[in-house]
Amino acid sequence: MKQRQGLIALAFLTPALVCLAVLRIVPAISAVVESFYTESLLRGGRVFTGLSNYTDLLGSKDFRQSVGVTLLFTVLVNPIQVVVSFLLAVLFTQKAAGSKLWRTLVILPIATPPAVSAVIWSVIYRPDGLGNGVLGRLGLPAQPFLTSPNQVLPSLIVLLSWIGVGYWMLFLIAGIQEVPVEVREAALLDGAGPWRRMISVILPLVRRPLAFVLVADTVSNLLVFAPVQILTKGGPNGNSNLLMYDVYNRAYAIGDIHVAQAEVVILVALTLAIVAGQFRLLRGDQ
Amino acid sequence: MSLSVLGGVVGILFFLPLLWVVTNSLRPGSETFAHLNPLSWQTFFELRPTLTNYSALLGSEIGRATLNSILVSALTVAIGLAVCATAAFGLAAFEFRGRGLVFGIVVLSFLVPFDAIAIPLSTMFRDWHLTNTFTGLVLPGIGNGMAIFLLRQFFLGVPAELVEAGRLDGLGWFGVFRWIYLPLSKPALIGAGLMLFLFQWQAYVWPLLIGTDAKHILGPVALSNLQGQNFADYGLVFAGAVVLTVIPLVVIAGFQRYFVQSVSSTGLK
Amino acid sequence: MRRNLFALPAAAVAAALLLAGCGGSSGANGSGSTQTADPGPDTGTITFTGTDNAETYQPVIKAFEAKNPGIKVTYTQIPFDQFNATMQQRLSAKDTGIDVYTVDEPRVSQLAAKGFLTDLSDLDGKVKTSFSAAAYKTNHFRDKLWSLPMWNSTQYLFYNKTALAKAKVTPPAADPQQRWTWEQVEAAGRKSMQAGGTKYGLFMEQPEAYYQLQPLAESLGGGSGVEGADVLTPAIETDGWKKAMQWYGATFASGLSPRGIGGFQTGPVFSNGDVAFFVGGPWDLKIFGSSKIDWGVAPLPYFQGGKPVTPTGSWSLGINPASKQQGMARKFLEFATLDPAGNLATTSTTTIIPANLDAQKQYTPKMDAFSGAKTAGAAAITAYESEHTAVSRPVSVGYIQFEEVLGKAFADIRNGTNPDARLQQATQQLTEAWRSIK
Repeated sequence: MKQRQGLIALAFLTPALVCLAVLRIVPAISAVVESFYTESLLRGGRVFTGLSNYTDLLGSKDFRQSVGVTLLFTVLVNPIQVVVSFLLAVLFTQKAAGSKLWRTLVILPIATPPAVSAVIWSVIYRPDGLGNGVLGRLGLPAQPFLTSPNQVLPSLIVLLSWIGVGYWMLFLIAGIQEVPVEVREAALLDGAGPWRRMISVILPLVRRPLAFVLVADTVSNLLVFAPVQILTKGGPNGNSNLLMYDVYNRAYAIGDIHVAQAEVVILVALTLAIVAGQFRLLRGDQ
Repeated sequence: MSLSVLGGVVGILFFLPLLWVVTNSLRPGSETFAHLNPLSWQTFFELRPTLTNYSALLGSEIGRATLNSILVSALTVAIGLAVCATAAFGLAAFEFRGRGLVFGIVVLSFLVPFDAIAIPLSTMFRDWHLTNTFTGLVLPGIGNGMAIFLLRQFFLGVPAELVEAGRLDGLGWFGVFRWIYLPLSKPALIGAGLMLFLFQWQAYVWPLLIGTDAKHILGPVALSNLQGQNFADYGLVFAGAVVLTVIPLVVIAGFQRYFVQSVSSTGLK
Repeated sequence: MRRNLFALPAAAVAAALLLAGCGGSSGANGSGSTQTADPGPDTGTITFTGTDNAETYQPVIKAFEAKNPGIKVTYTQIPFDQFNATMQQRLSAKDTGIDVYTVDEPRVSQLAAKGFLTDLSDLDGKVKTSFSAAAYKTNHFRDKLWSLPMWNSTQYLFYNKTALAKAKVTPPAADPQQRWTWEQVEAAGRKSMQAGGTKYGLFMEQPEAYYQLQPLAESLGGGSGVEGADVLTPAIETDGWKKAMQWYGATFASGLSPRGIGGFQTGPVFSNGDVAFFVGGPWDLKIFGSSKIDWGVAPLPYFQGGKPVTPTGSWSLGINPASKQQGMARKFLEFATLDPAGNLATTSTTTIIPANLDAQKQYTPKMDAFSGAKTAGAAAITAYESEHTAVSRPVSVGYIQFEEVLGKAFADIRNGTNPDARLQQATQQLTEAWRSIK
């Protein structure tokens, strides 16, 4: 019986597995292969160098700083985005006037071309820009934002949350709508307060979409590079030098594909460790 | 009531930066940065809007690029959803050995950043003569590990009794998939579709790598081409951005009503 | 599931190692293509790839097609931020869909070293007489000619007339003999901030670009920043570099220049009237023409006690060795660069200086009238700089890394990092980056 089920499942899975193999796994393997080579422009040609790309990377202070910045960023950005998306999802599934319109406005940033989002936020974060304009109106002192080593990461987190939370909210809304109305209303009749209702009724019921959002959000945040490339180039002093930007810069701007691929392998290994940790956590939750 | 006020405030806050873009698309490019500081009502509103930027767009590649982007994205969503939903069904509805392994492969495939494998992948596509073809543009978007992951998460929530009842009624496995799983998972399907859609709608590096001739140019590339080497007319760029944002907006707004449809309201439960 | 997630990468690595054993990928041969290429057909369509708007090249393409019936040229634009990467990838894949392409001059050596350019050495004699010595040199690598110069550039000091008048400052003269020093500019800029109503005193168009900042260090005798027989030894900790960077960092720390504004947003700071002095290129002669402020143009300053140095160089044209239409490609290339009329046509919709000396002679005088009286003097400055003060960027296979590492260092110095320490760090980063290509 189990074997027969396996065959049927395989039939359903085949198209996707072929796509994933050809479009992701084969090029990924070739990336791994390239990470063991190097190219000398003076001597000419491509030379097998074993692990030297990796040892060079691990020996580089800049690279180690980049890993540190990436980890710090991951620890900060994901909880913030997941919590905010959840709160927004709860807010916009309440019966309230105009909620569909407001919801659409919150989702809209994800549809904006990334290059334009970066221009918008460069204007917000300029020393004489919109951000300080608003702070000025509120009687608050001007902030350096992206030009300060301490504020650059929080500034990027705000920008990325503006783009992303509406998107993740969407998946949670889908999850909450899945919760039968009777259940939601029953909780209401129980006289449970809004916070308790949220924590004890809605949260457990959207566990699955929440798990998806947490994992997918983490992965997508580990792959962020466009705003860094356009706004900070990893600075000031490497404080926004996220790994994926470093990879992108190496592969596309500098053209050192071999070291870039070694860095990708390390980045994927790191992602894998984090996601595996999250799965373990979610499992323990059950 | 207070909830709709809160919702409105949040919505408007998210929209403000985009309002700035819309406003400046209605102004000559030379005035884009003129009203930044101090903040005034002119920062966000223009009393004498002009459509020159939009009419200038007509002379650019944006029109064709937008149509191409719509075509490529629509194909990707249609084919991609079929591929990903069947795979998710295979992973959610059956018990078999190695299920965890296959799921692991799917998850792993989306841990590999696409931009990192785009270079070797484009070399493969060049060998297959897929440069400057719509096939070459559509293909990378259809096998999406994240979409499979999302759909599987939702499919796992379909009650086993429903499946059994369906089987007893004489439904084949494809019937179970088509008539029980799919109707129950509309929100998830929309979510997955949106994911596939956005991946293609914002594709930028990939179309450049496998070649972008005038016939196959996509939106983000055309938008970038509006900037010169030494100078960008942001009025024009923002007008292009508004055009490229309106289409996803229409798609998202159009699908909103399906989100309200829950399992209980489909009458199946 | 948990177990499998970990088991998989190990399998992938094993498979990769297996593949690596028999990996026979045909990478670049590293020595450029030297064989006499098959000229291919005499008529047909060639593809020209660059990063400017399509309108830029319409005049030269039209003129070329009129002169060469049977040959058509289609232009493909690739956005600037992705140009080098995209070309790198497509050229290394021997993409035959590119015949002629634009080459950023400092990248000639690297492209030639990777085998991405057709050897054009048989044109050497003609190139020597048709272009400036600097242009001739930068298009060479290992004694061979790889690309032909199309454009040239320089930098000017733009000033806001109204603001200077308000601050009672006599504006700088257009005469290169009366060139201002940076010290003078700084003092006048501060006056303008106090009395002239500008937010800032001085701003540069590309505040984090080597092209823009090299003249500062060179003016103080600091050198280009790279030396050695293989041009892969960093030399950015000279006194000249340190002094230049200390001065540069201080202009931002003191508020003379604004931090946090970059990209295409620098020019509008000047055209909105927010800064007294602005350093920009020939393209600005026209761009600023549409602004509402009154302005003028003067030669690029130098440091007191130093010498005047100006940046130079721009885009060249090269041929893809994988092109199957070498003959037609070469015809177009020669027309757009060596033929004065053709070269002039490449500059008719944009304000950039043609590299061909004959074309330059016809073009430069017109620069005085690009924006009416405001641009008076621009022609004489341009001619003077190209003859006396122009210094090219270094010709090195490691230029890309050099530009990248220094760009980040400049950005950090701008944001307040200690210049000496940051230059030292950059030396280290360059040594690291260049180790792999040596």
